[in-house]
Amino acid sequence: MGYSGARGGLEAILAAEDLVRRARDHAPVAWADTEQIVARFRLAVDRVMGEAGLFDEDTAAAAFRQAEGDPLEASHLLRAYRSTLPRLAVGEPVDPDDMLILRRIVPAFREPDGPQLLGRTTDYTGRLLEKPTARPEADEHVAGTPKPRTDEQRRPRRFLDLLRDLGLAVDHRGEAEDAEPFDLTRKPARPPAPRSAALAAMARAETGALVSLWYRSILGPDGNLHEVTLGEVRHGRLPLRVKHPHTGNPVAVGNFRVTEAEAIEDLNGAEEDRSRFDVGYGLCFGHNERKAIAMANLDIANRRFGKSGPLEQLLLLTTDGLDSGGFLEHLKLPHYVTFRSMVERKRALQAAAGTGEGPAPRQSEPFGGQC
Amino acid sequence: MTDPLGREERCGLLAEAEPGELRALADACLADGADVRVLLAPEVGCVQTQVREPVAGERFLLGDVLACRAEVELAGHRGWAMRLGDDRAAVLAAAVLDAEVEAGRARAAEVDELCREVARRLVEREEREWAELAPTVVEFEELT
Repeated sequence: MGYSGARGGLEAILAAEDLVRRARDHAPVAWADTEQIVARFRLAVDRVMGEAGLFDEDTAAAAFRQAEGDPLEASHLLRAYRSTLPRLAVGEPVDPDDMLILRRIVPAFREPDGPQLLGRTTDYTGRLLEKPTARPEADEHVAGTPKPRTDEQRRPRRFLDLLRDLGLAVDHRGEAEDAEPFDLTRKPARPPAPRSAALAAMARAETGALVSLWYRSILGPDGNLHEVTLGEVRHGRLPLRVKHPHTGNPVAVGNFRVTEAEAIEDLNGAEEDRSRFDVGYGLCFGHNERKAIAMANLDIANRRFGKSGPLEQLLLLTTDGLDSGGFLEHLKLPHYVTFRSMVERKRALQAAAGTGEGPAPRQSEPFGGQC
Repeated sequence: MTDPLGREERCGLLAEAEPGELRALADACLADGADVRVLLAPEVGCVQTQVREPVAGERFLLGDVLACRAEVELAGHRGWAMRLGDDRAAVLAAAVLDAEVEAGRARAAEVDELCREVARRLVEREEREWAELAPTVVEFEELT
């Protein structure tokens, strides 16, 4: 990077930080405790966990409070915290079919196996702003006494399995070796990369970046026009199992919530099996349907177009919020020397023009040299 | 007489127990002055989560889950515990309770009973949750 370091200003920096702390922590309003943030700003907390790549609601809520509600800054804090932690274990591979569903919709098919469970959603209601001046009165709500929950209601068979039964889905099982998954936290992914790298990158991508890239893949200039049907969206809890150090058997140490999506692609390429559909997959921490749906669509788009166009590179290199946000924000740091050298070049060009000698031959700058 | 719980089941249920009840029972277990050594001090860290996605059966890394673990030796028997979150005291207490059972000590049955109580509570929680969710099951009409 070409920006210069800067010395001095320590007192001003400390005073600025102190101003943040005092205004944030000692504002003359009620303190927002962690429990309150988790309960009232659930989706923001979930988004922070997903973009940081660390699941823990209380820690994410603390980051959200410290970041004054900025999800990207909160993710930054959470990732920085995660980087200080030892890795206690690698969990046993999670089977998404183990998910206990809290919400599950199958937009592609009216009567799938198991329920269409709306769960906690405002998808079907008008967005009318409410501005209560105090906590709203609770409605009289008497919880019903439903019949015991069946296995199908707990863990319904996925829509993809139905498509397979009908002979309508391209079957990719067994195509790949059971390769070790790519670990983005140890090594940055660069194209060409295995699918596990793209899935991991999307799972912790910035939500807006992923949605934007998805929209670009639909309407953008790359020509990857493809039919999008959403097979299934789920929000639910998955068990985390680790190997017991004494017995060697898996032990469930708790649950974490995820959102999962399947995207159905209508194949139409010359080399593709046009008699079947292909399926893309998305799964991210917390309740974040926008992200999981974009991920599933981009997974299948990446399978089809990732290697022949810019999509894989865009996915791997431009969707991480800390990467893009960090690069953008570094522009605020002092760039005095860089800019002075640019000014000097302009002056040299002007001086050369004045003497009639013409400009010096152009030299290409290294990538990032202007920053 | 109920069968004793398997070790993995016990560890899983202790991981879901409330911190207060773990600490209270662990204090009771140690009140007889039993020889206890902390082999692995409670440590907060993360568990890397890998998912086997259902389309091609490929594994990918979803992220990390915050967890803590501890290991103790009580009366010559090792107890191990891991819980999600960062409550060091709770995970240490869970390790003590695991060792109490492994050592076949006086309060082993109480540890099992706590685990069974946690299991009952989890079932009740799921039932309450389903009571809230079930009314949102929908059957949309098809437009013809």
